[in-house]
Amino acid sequence: MLYVVLFFLIFSLYLYVILGGADYGAGIVELFSSEENQKITKKTIYRVMGPVWEANHIWIIILIVILWIAFPAYYNVLVVYLHIPLTIVLLGVTLRGVAFVFRHYDAIIDDSQKLYDTLFKISSFVTPIFLGIVFGALISGEIPLEADISSLTFYDAFIGSWLNVFSVLVGLFFAALCAFLSAVLLIGEAEQGNENIYVRKATIATIVVFVVGLLTFVYGYFSDNVFVQDFIKNPWTIILVAISGLLLFPLWKTINSGNKVWSRFFAGLQVFLILLAAMVSHFPDIIITTTGSISLLDNIAPDSVIKVLGISLLIGGAVILPGLFHLLKSFKMIKILERK
Amino acid sequence: MENLDAARLQMAFTLIFHIVFACIGMVMPFFMVVSHYKWLKTRDQVYLTLTKSWQKGVAIFFVTGAVSGTALSFELGLLWPEFMKHAGPIIGMPFSLEGAAFFVEAIALGFYLYGWGKLPERFHWITGIIIGVSGVASGILVVAANGWMNSPTGFDYIDGKFLNIDPVQAMLNPAWFTQALHMTLAAFTATGFAVAGIHAYQVYKNRKVALHKKAFKIAITFGAVAAILQPISGDISAKDIAERQPVKLAAMEAHYNTEKGAPLYIGGVVNDKTQEVRYKIALPGMLSFLAFGDFDAEVKGLNDFPEDERPNVAMVHYAFQVMVGIGTMLLLAGLLYFVSLKKKKWLSNTKYWLLFVVLAPMGFIALEAGWIVTEVGRQPWIIHNIMRTKDAVTPMPGIVVSFYTYIVVYLTLSVAVTWLMLRQIRVLNHSNH
Repeated sequence: MLYVVLFFLIFSLYLYVILGGADYGAGIVELFSSEENQKITKKTIYRVMGPVWEANHIWIIILIVILWIAFPAYYNVLVVYLHIPLTIVLLGVTLRGVAFVFRHYDAIIDDSQKLYDTLFKISSFVTPIFLGIVFGALISGEIPLEADISSLTFYDAFIGSWLNVFSVLVGLFFAALCAFLSAVLLIGEAEQGNENIYVRKATIATIVVFVVGLLTFVYGYFSDNVFVQDFIKNPWTIILVAISGLLLFPLWKTINSGNKVWSRFFAGLQVFLILLAAMVSHFPDIIITTTGSISLLDNIAPDSVIKVLGISLLIGGAVILPGLFHLLKSFKMIKILERK
Repeated sequence: MENLDAARLQMAFTLIFHIVFACIGMVMPFFMVVSHYKWLKTRDQVYLTLTKSWQKGVAIFFVTGAVSGTALSFELGLLWPEFMKHAGPIIGMPFSLEGAAFFVEAIALGFYLYGWGKLPERFHWITGIIIGVSGVASGILVVAANGWMNSPTGFDYIDGKFLNIDPVQAMLNPAWFTQALHMTLAAFTATGFAVAGIHAYQVYKNRKVALHKKAFKIAITFGAVAAILQPISGDISAKDIAERQPVKLAAMEAHYNTEKGAPLYIGGVVNDKTQEVRYKIALPGMLSFLAFGDFDAEVKGLNDFPEDERPNVAMVHYAFQVMVGIGTMLLLAGLLYFVSLKKKKWLSNTKYWLLFVVLAPMGFIALEAGWIVTEVGRQPWIIHNIMRTKDAVTPMPGIVVSFYTYIVVYLTLSVAVTWLMLRQIRVLNHSNH
């Protein structure tokens, strides 16, 4: 049953990064667009994301619930040391969610739309950065694990662990990934003639992903970051990242030929491979502290808990996944189906 | 402000906020599907306009409830890491099922909101039902987790360690049913009266009377039925608490000394130092009767418990009085509504509508007061008789900063949502259906 639980943990992480990421990215794409294109993007986002965005964001709840039930020791490090960036993520999630709904459900369209738009765009940008910072902090080797946390200064314990060059770079990398995913998604949903806006955005996002990714590794390599060192030495991760890079070719081909289903598949697969590479190089030691690492599989909950959780997840999955599939099929893909 | 106080206030504040939005998001879908059903049956355009207007309300409240719920799922750990470290695995089951139910709700909502004209009519309507049912299921599951904090079961506590964990038994703890029943009825009462009150105000102001009367009728029917059933559930809860958390019951009643044939205090001003309750109405033997079904039964007083194991008596007592007082009022208002179905003349009296306008916020005030009774009444424990709240709080200092941030954000959100609702109503009143 532990494997079932692990499967759902990783499954919801991937889905959150890919679906939720594309969702955040939509706001980033809108933020970095000209005024005229912002209007077009706003409409497109509403049509594409409207029915599914809430579902996209529930994966993080599933993720966090699995963590606290099955891997309480791991979760404990997360919530104690990364309190501040997580709080910022939460405020971002809150403001972004309400801004999205306000701007589409306000009965009167007036100047307040500008406020909703600004709030939506900025929180769409800031939230994934801080989410990425949290991911970065976990593997940065900067978390000073101490049994008696009061012996540490406030800065060392609660700020230094995440506010460092490596974590911030990972944060920016994650935001760029989101923008990339979203741009590819939006290409397929744009009205006739607007596709080029998103092709351009996808190109820029790809370049940013590459540059920030490279910077992260160069910085990590020269600052003796444990994660980066292990990442580079592991042949599997290199192969996975290489495949992800090579997939750019079929991605461009499918975009140019207008094959929306495959272009989305390739973009999602690329992000999946990058995440997989990060995981392969260090699983299960997913938290790297200043003195060593913490394995996800240390201090797991007792068997009785894992068993019940596994069964709940299987039942939940059996109910949710077909429903979600139909939801995506009914709305997100409607335009594609109509065109055929 | 001390860290512990700041953390408690932040938790209380975010819960108070979340509960309102979660309840509306959980109950309003039922109003919406009733109106939708009437539209399908009668093809009366008024019902279609009403359904679509309520659906916007559902969407706005669902999202506010969902994001504040996401924040809460993190806050549990961010503020109370020691609690979650031990309790997380034990009470994980209701939370994981709640996640699933919530997911189903979000999927159904996606279908419903965007399904107009695209989905088959009957299927579309059914997705509305699923929103409501899964919303109520989520609510019940979360309350079951809270029930565990009041009546921790499903583990053995040996030398400070939680052993032999049985998550199913923890979920089905002795308090889950009484609390879930009470809360579900409360959600229907509060939302029913609140929505009915808003529409009553429109009738009172003579705006789109035909539409708002229909809306009022749907909402108040749910609210009135729930308000009339609520005392039964309250009685079950009282007897349950008398058994399991006698100190909470004693605080609710500001009952200091153990005695047989204990009186029930209505109202009164509590002086915790002198242990006196002044200006109260005392009903002899009633507390014993309500707690144990026997006028002579012995009811334990606060003095039977060590001082550091008692909650804030005055706060719990006042909150309890508010809850019961308003509950009684809403029960009478519910009966009045059913009488008015026979006495049609009342409906043309503006005072009838004004009454329901005044009652609009009452259900929610009672509901929040009830949660204050449950939560403050459990103090100083976070897990009843097992872990103290002060031992569970985060080691990170300066929680007061995050507390003030949350206050500002959530208050702004409350104002914004209210403002948005007013705009919805304004547009509704000017629309031509």
